Amino acid sequence: MMEKNKKVIIVPCSGIGKPYGTVSREAAYDVTEDLRPRQTQLVPLALLVLGDEESRAVVAENQAITIDGCKLACAAKMVQQSGGTIAQEFAVLDFYRTHKDLKPQGIAELNEGGQKLAHALAEEVTAVVDGLLSANEGGENA
Amino acid sequence: MTDFLETTVDKFTFKVATDRSYTSEGVWVKEDNGRFRIGLSDFVQQRSGDVAFADVKPEGKVLAAGDELAAIETIKVNITYSSPVNGKIVEVNPAMSDAPEAINQDPYGMGWLAVMEVADWEAQRAKLLDPQAYFKIMKGQAEEEAKKI
Repeated sequence: MMEKNKKVIIVPCSGIGKPYGTVSREAAYDVTEDLRPRQTQLVPLALLVLGDEESRAVVAENQAITIDGCKLACAAKMVQQSGGTIAQEFAVLDFYRTHKDLKPQGIAELNEGGQKLAHALAEEVTAVVDGLLSANEGGENA
Repeated sequence: MTDFLETTVDKFTFKVATDRSYTSEGVWVKEDNGRFRIGLSDFVQQRSGDVAFADVKPEGKVLAAGDELAAIETIKVNITYSSPVNGKIVEVNPAMSDAPEAINQDPYGMGWLAVMEVADWEAQRAKLLDPQAYFKIMKGQAEEEAKKI
């Protein structure tokens, strides 16, 4: 159970130069900047890898949602190694399997399919965020 | 129990099962109670990346060696693989539609693609590579890939 005023931490893949990693980050930006900016916080995976104390503390004190670009699942592993609790793990590849028409391509800039996939993934992540907050606030959602 | 030939190139280790025949593109064939199981090598699955979708030709389809057997979409590439033999597909691995990541997880076992009926196996096997010959080719391919990194 989350304590009141805590945020849901979103940790996406840090894979640069790979479409599935880019989808994970675009989805994370969607959630943390547009869909639930007050209720969520993005923590860059690189900071956890580098052992940034502030990032590790934030992860350790809040529930996290990880979004991994590949099966190495670096985001999930680093959250666990940082002492965090993962409320839900998302994998872009698994999500893509359920949205075959939205093939992600492009690296610095996603194609239309990739952008739509990222947004659809963001909607699912947001639903999980809402569920966590709802559980915390006894059904009064943000 | 299957034995393997094994090599490490750069930081990657590749295995070649010694109980089957291969094409140079890394498709294997293994005799299994008079039928022939087909799959992809460990090197192929590692080079191609995580499999998103695997579309294997359906049961009943008659193929000649070199005909398209399967189209695989991974996080890196879309690639087709050819049938290594002349024959008829009699079974497609149901995991290919439900959980195609089996190709990555267990390329020589649960990640098989299809089972075929093959006539004149001995003549067809003569056109395939034995494990040692494929291992040598695969090692060269892996070293070429490593130079690109």
